[in-house]
Amino acid sequence: MVRAALASKRRIGQGPVPFAMAVPAASVVAATLLSSLPIISNVGWFPDFGFLVLVSWRLLRSDPWPAWWTIPLGLVNDLFTGAPIGLSIALWSATMLALDLVDRRTMWRGYWTEWMVAAVLLAIDELIQWKIAAVMGASVPFRAMVPPFLVSVCVFPLAAWLVSRIDRWRLGQ
Amino acid sequence: MATARPGWSRRAQLGLFISFLALIAGVIVGLILLGLSLVAPKTFEGVRGAALDATAPVTSALHEVTDTVGGMFTGAGNYWDAAHQNSKLKRERAQMVQQIIRAKAVLQENLQLKAALQLRERTSDTVATGRIVGSSFNSPRRFAILSAGRSDGVRIGMPVRSPDGLVGRVIDSGMLASRILLVSDRANIVPARLLRGGIPVISQGRGDGTVDIRPLEVGRNPFRRGDIIVTSGTGGLYPPLVPIARVVKLDDDGAIGMPLADPATTSFAIVEPAFEPAATADTPAAQDAP
Repeated sequence: MVRAALASKRRIGQGPVPFAMAVPAASVVAATLLSSLPIISNVGWFPDFGFLVLVSWRLLRSDPWPAWWTIPLGLVNDLFTGAPIGLSIALWSATMLALDLVDRRTMWRGYWTEWMVAAVLLAIDELIQWKIAAVMGASVPFRAMVPPFLVSVCVFPLAAWLVSRIDRWRLGQ
Repeated sequence: MATARPGWSRRAQLGLFISFLALIAGVIVGLILLGLSLVAPKTFEGVRGAALDATAPVTSALHEVTDTVGGMFTGAGNYWDAAHQNSKLKRERAQMVQQIIRAKAVLQENLQLKAALQLRERTSDTVATGRIVGSSFNSPRRFAILSAGRSDGVRIGMPVRSPDGLVGRVIDSGMLASRILLVSDRANIVPARLLRGGIPVISQGRGDGTVDIRPLEVGRNPFRRGDIIVTSGTGGLYPPLVPIARVVKLDDDGAIGMPLADPATTSFAIVEPAFEPAATADTPAAQDAP
């Protein structure tokens, strides 16, 4: 009984899955592709799946992918969501940079801290989308951006949980 | 990158520094591309079209599934209370026949009058028909994906309508699919007029599925609840007399309307050529439009 509790749960021969290094980036692309689901909605209240998964990965690990991969990841997101090309490239790279700086400052981390950081980043994401839409001639009233922000903040824990599951799967734990 | 110094390894420190530079480069590249796509939106036409094509087959196929499932439920709902519905439809049909006869008479009279005035009648051909298979459900903009593209003759700038009313206009076109700027998008401004009285108005999307309607002349609010707004054809992009919206609410100097063509329930959308070809002639893509 005691022996069984002490024994490692890890079995021999069970390591990371093949291409474990590419799994985080692939999951971000998969989340981005969710925007091509045949959902026809009159309001844009669904969360930005790609950005949610990106932030979740970055909060879980400091180096989910080589830093320059954010450029192609952002490009893919721009292409498939119909955002002006360059928006996600700049925003996602800036997010990674910001999280590097946050990592230097924070003494400890917890669920609440991470959720707060994610909420701030999601707010900035919505704000910049709103600004860019206004620059492109679609000055949506600001209160229209509140529901999608709240929805994405509420969905973040789910995304973080999913990402941690994917991480454990890819490392064979 | 979690710590300021990863240790004494020179290689690790250099790697950290390079990844920092990569992120800064990413921000700069992104800003340059963003500036380009804001200033010259036509730069990325090709690559955006290709991205549309990449997801279109999957989206269309999934749409078939959701459509079938949805159809089964509404189909079952239609059997419920069928007798009552039948008698109601019969009454409506009788009224409709009378109206059709009246409309036919008006049409004939109109034709005679136009012949007398020697007005040139533009034919409104259909370029392509497609299904609305997706939308920008996670963005403040209102776009929809149409399952017809460049191979069907769809070009950027063409108006899209459904049997119910105006849907929007094409802003990106791939070989198999195209992206439509819906009437309810904030950037979509449609010159229109009131069907009752013909007062010129402007319809602008509100980003939440409704449109803002404002009269061109400031003064008394000309709207009533239930008024129908139709395109005026001014500007030459949209053909005239396509219904846009029904007024549902009045505010101080205008009204809020509900688009008559709801993209969520529109089964088929029709792409038409630009009403006045000159309206889109500045775009190279529209020049070879039929």
